[in-house]
Amino acid sequence: MDTQEKLEEIANLLLEISSLLMVSGANTNRANVSIDRFASVLGCKADRMISHKNIVMTLIDKKTGKSYTKVQSIPPYAINFAIISAISRASWYAIDRRWTFNHIEKEIAKIKSKNRYPRLLVLFAVSLAGAGFCNIFGGDYINMAVAMVSTFTGLFVLQEAHKKNFNVYFRVVLASFIASIIAALGVVFEIGESPDVALATSILFLVPGVPLINSFTDFLDNYVLNGTVRFAIGLMTVLAIALGLFGAILIFQLQ
Amino acid sequence: MTDLLKIFELALWTGIAGVGFGILFNIPRKAILTVFILGFGVGLIKSVLLKMGLNIIIVSFIAALFVGIFSMPLAHKIHQPPVVFSIPAVIPMIPGYFAYKTVLATMNFTFMEAATEKRLELIDTIFTNGFTMLFILISLTLGISLPLLLLRKSTIKKLDK
Repeated sequence: MDTQEKLEEIANLLLEISSLLMVSGANTNRANVSIDRFASVLGCKADRMISHKNIVMTLIDKKTGKSYTKVQSIPPYAINFAIISAISRASWYAIDRRWTFNHIEKEIAKIKSKNRYPRLLVLFAVSLAGAGFCNIFGGDYINMAVAMVSTFTGLFVLQEAHKKNFNVYFRVVLASFIASIIAALGVVFEIGESPDVALATSILFLVPGVPLINSFTDFLDNYVLNGTVRFAIGLMTVLAIALGLFGAILIFQLQ
Repeated sequence: MTDLLKIFELALWTGIAGVGFGILFNIPRKAILTVFILGFGVGLIKSVLLKMGLNIIIVSFIAALFVGIFSMPLAHKIHQPPVVFSIPAVIPMIPGYFAYKTVLATMNFTFMEAATEKRLELIDTIFTNGFTMLFILISLTLGISLPLLLLRKSTIKKLDK
């Protein structure tokens, strides 16, 4: 095969891998390390710039010295740790067992086609987590039930809004508003011992834990730009959550 | 005895909360038990240290450090990168209640309260809870990423091969 064509194929694969990693919630360093690993297996050197929305990559063939450059935009983010885990493992095996290009390509296609957990399971698991949060902050069992119901409804609204392609932050405002309205009813009717705990924990499923943690990891690795972007996204999400909560508190005039 | 049972129950719910978020983040099936164990440990450490009267920020840092340190040998054992279970395990420590208090106090300060003395009290509430929240967040991220960053050389080694 022509070197130029081969380089193009490798570049496409590497760009796909790194954008998959970024979308799934990996930090920038992990995306970089994975590219380096796969590129070294395929006999290339990859220089790139990874930003939050785009990746620019120049691939250099180590033997011929020919190069190929491509820009790829990153699709909307959707956290998926199974993909990070699978790609990371694939990169170890690729180095240890000297995988060929076709092998890596097949493996990535397989990783991409893996299913997520069923929607109902996610809903129930996150609702249980909401109840757990309520317990952690000192709610009794009735408060936990309230937190569970409001988390369930809030997450359901979030998923539905996602299907309808609403703006990301608008989705969060909506989910936070609905969840806190339900939990605020508990405060108004004084359900359980400490209903305010249920209200505080009903919106925790929206907290942008992954962007915030990744933001600090990126800062520590000196990827200041990406870290700043992630921090800004986390901040925007927190503000959106607060806005939804604001609405519920204003409607019920809670003190 | 009831105290012990309470601590145990809290740790149990911390583990469940961690797993719930793990499933939201679509962690691999193999990692679920690991997340639960780490979350359980976090709950134990947190409630015991809080009972001893330590500050919540320091407690959060120690618990996150526990997750960061233990996630590395576990990562090698079940062949998963550490982030997969270290992030879900610390999510239950997210300072939601402090955030809520901050927002509520800000609301009251801006829209409802007029008396000067009450407003001063509210400013105190906003700052105390707001900064506690911020510092807990920072200590969580530092706690889980410091061990990884310090010992990262050993995983990058493979690259030069």
